[in-house]
Amino acid sequence: MTNNEYLTEYDQIVQAMQKYIDGSKQGKSEIMRPAFHPEASFFGYAGEQLAIGTQFLFDWIDKNGPAPNIEPRIVSVDILDSIAAVRLEVAGWSGNLAGSGVRMSDLFTLLKTANGWKIIQKAFHWHAAGQRLAA
Amino acid sequence: MEDHPEGVSLARRRAEAGRVISGIVFGGSEMPERNTPQKTLESWKQIAAYLDRSERTVRRWEANEGLPVHRREHEKQDTVFAYRHEIEAWNRLRTRCPGPTSVSHAESLFTPQSAGNAYLIEHDAITRTMHCYIAGARAGEADLMRPAFHPSATISGYCQGVEYTGSVEHVFQWINENGPAPTINPCFARIEIIESIAVVHLEVQNWSGKLAGANAHASDVFTLLKCNGEWKITHKLFHWHNR
Repeated sequence: MTNNEYLTEYDQIVQAMQKYIDGSKQGKSEIMRPAFHPEASFFGYAGEQLAIGTQFLFDWIDKNGPAPNIEPRIVSVDILDSIAAVRLEVAGWSGNLAGSGVRMSDLFTLLKTANGWKIIQKAFHWHAAGQRLAA
Repeated sequence: MEDHPEGVSLARRRAEAGRVISGIVFGGSEMPERNTPQKTLESWKQIAAYLDRSERTVRRWEANEGLPVHRREHEKQDTVFAYRHEIEAWNRLRTRCPGPTSVSHAESLFTPQSAGNAYLIEHDAITRTMHCYIAGARAGEADLMRPAFHPSATISGYCQGVEYTGSVEHVFQWINENGPAPTINPCFARIEIIESIAVVHLEVQNWSGKLAGANAHASDVFTLLKCNGEWKITHKLFHWHNR
């Protein structure tokens, strides 16, 4: 990969992540859906509850509603040809379901497809002990 | 390729742990090992002697129970070696609670003394899960790697230019059809743990077998989730490198 190629891939990955971030902030799953692969998966624990499946995520985002104060930071982007891993830290989660001031750590994996980089999995850790991520 | 300060500090912590272990276990013994903390065992014979078992037994442990053995590539035949601190970590988890489903038990038996130790326990538990995958890949037996995966795990990547996304069952089929791949040389390029989730970047050189061909190189990114105290792979993302 040349430097320019790397930058192109990096920018496209960050653009996909931005769709997730924008959808989270506005509480609209329709904004983030195009960033996800149709067969993407979603995993994580919210308290004792195991949440699986992107439908859970999209429903949660819509029910949670706007989270205008989230502070997202892309901590790392690792690209290996056709695959990539991204770590995202989001502080200040708020909303109908999130409560307020909650931190979420996410590990995204992405696949380079004919339609650009797509999120193939999101794994999350919800830093709120005992708090349910009700949906 | 990667600048990863956590990896560096982990290596240092492991090295320190290795010193402590060797001080306790080998202090006063005739084994000539002092200066370098990260000691290696350089043959099946040495690994067997270290564990006080036959070579046959330790080879079986590698194939079936995830004994961490590494390989160096040579022109004629690969040579094996093992890190004492890795063998110690493997042995520690294994002795306390044998069997492939014992990760959670083994963890619960530890009382973390410090944040550093707690991190090592998680790290070791994750590599143990990964070695379960590696043992299955090497033996060409999917049943060996099944316990490493979450039942709902999926895989994604390209096989001969065609995108493949689907159930982990397809990995199991592929592994069985591929058969033994005794020469694979897996290397942990990165392990990142965030409380209940983790990502493992595994580089595997020298893939072989009926489907893999010879000397194939794969990069894998695994995502893991800690479920009921056990680390399970929830996703395997793979890239086969062009030869």
